[in-house]
Amino acid sequence: MSELEHAGRIDLPATLWQEILGHCRRKLAGEFLPGETPVRRAYGILAGTLSGDVMVVRLVLPVKKNARSVEPFRSYMDQVMAEHAVESTTPMDKRGWITDPGELRACFQRCDDEGLMVFGTYHMHIVAWDGDPTRDTPTRLDTVLARGSNLVSFIISMVDEKRPSMRAFYEGRPDREIPINITG
Amino acid sequence: MARIIIPFPFRKHTENRREVDIEGESLSQVIKSLVLRYPGLKTMHDQPALLSVFINGRQVQGQAGEWDNVPLRSDDEVSLIIPIAGG
Repeated sequence: MSELEHAGRIDLPATLWQEILGHCRRKLAGEFLPGETPVRRAYGILAGTLSGDVMVVRLVLPVKKNARSVEPFRSYMDQVMAEHAVESTTPMDKRGWITDPGELRACFQRCDDEGLMVFGTYHMHIVAWDGDPTRDTPTRLDTVLARGSNLVSFIISMVDEKRPSMRAFYEGRPDREIPINITG
Repeated sequence: MARIIIPFPFRKHTENRREVDIEGESLSQVIKSLVLRYPGLKTMHDQPALLSVFINGRQVQGQAGEWDNVPLRSDDEVSLIIPIAGG
C-alpha cells in the first residue's frame, strides 16, 4: 500500500513555493536554460519526507526536457491526447509533457541519495476555460496520465499571474485532493 | 545476480524496497523474474514501449522485445524507468 495515498496534508515551505513560481514565471516569459525544451510550460518534481500523514516538501526539481516529440513517447502521447484531451487553443501535438528517461533517472537518483521520497509532479495551467476561470484542478487528461502513478499531481493556476495558486491531487484525481499548507 | 533499482512510483509493489537482487543471464529474463516475484509490477511490464532500462547508468537501446540478447553480469545494476507524463 502506498504511504502517499493516505497523506492528510502537504507542508510546502514558502521558499520552495517561490522557487516553483520562479520556474513557472521564467518559462512564461520565454526565458530558457541551456538544454531546456523551449516551451512556455513548466514541469517539475517535488520530493520530501513523510512525517506521520504529513508530506513535507523539501526539494523542487524543475524538469528541463520534454520528450513529447521523441518516439516512442510521441505516439503514446498522440494516442492519449486523441482519446482524452479537450480541444484547446494549443494544438494537440504541442500539448502534454513526458519526461526524458535519463533526466528522470537522475532526478530519482538524487532523491534516493538525499533520502527523499518522490511526491509527485507539478505543471501549470495558464488559460481559463469556459466555466473554469481558475483552472486549478486536474483536467481529464491530467487524471488519465497520472492513473496508477502513485504520485501526487500538483496543479498550479497561472491564469492570473499576479494571483497564482496550487492544489494537489493524489494520482490526479479530483476527488482525492490533499490540502497544501504553505509554511514559514 | 543483477541488482534492480525500482523507481519510486513502483515501490509500493515491492514492499517499499528500493533494490531487488534477481538471478538471470539476460535482461529480459531478469525482468520477467522480477515481475513473477512482484506481480504488481506487471503494470510497468505491460507498457514495454515506455519502459526504459539503464545498465550501470547507460541506457539500453531498443525496446523490450529486443532484450533477450542483452546479457547481464552478476554485478550489474539495472535501473527501470517509466517516464512520468502530464497534461
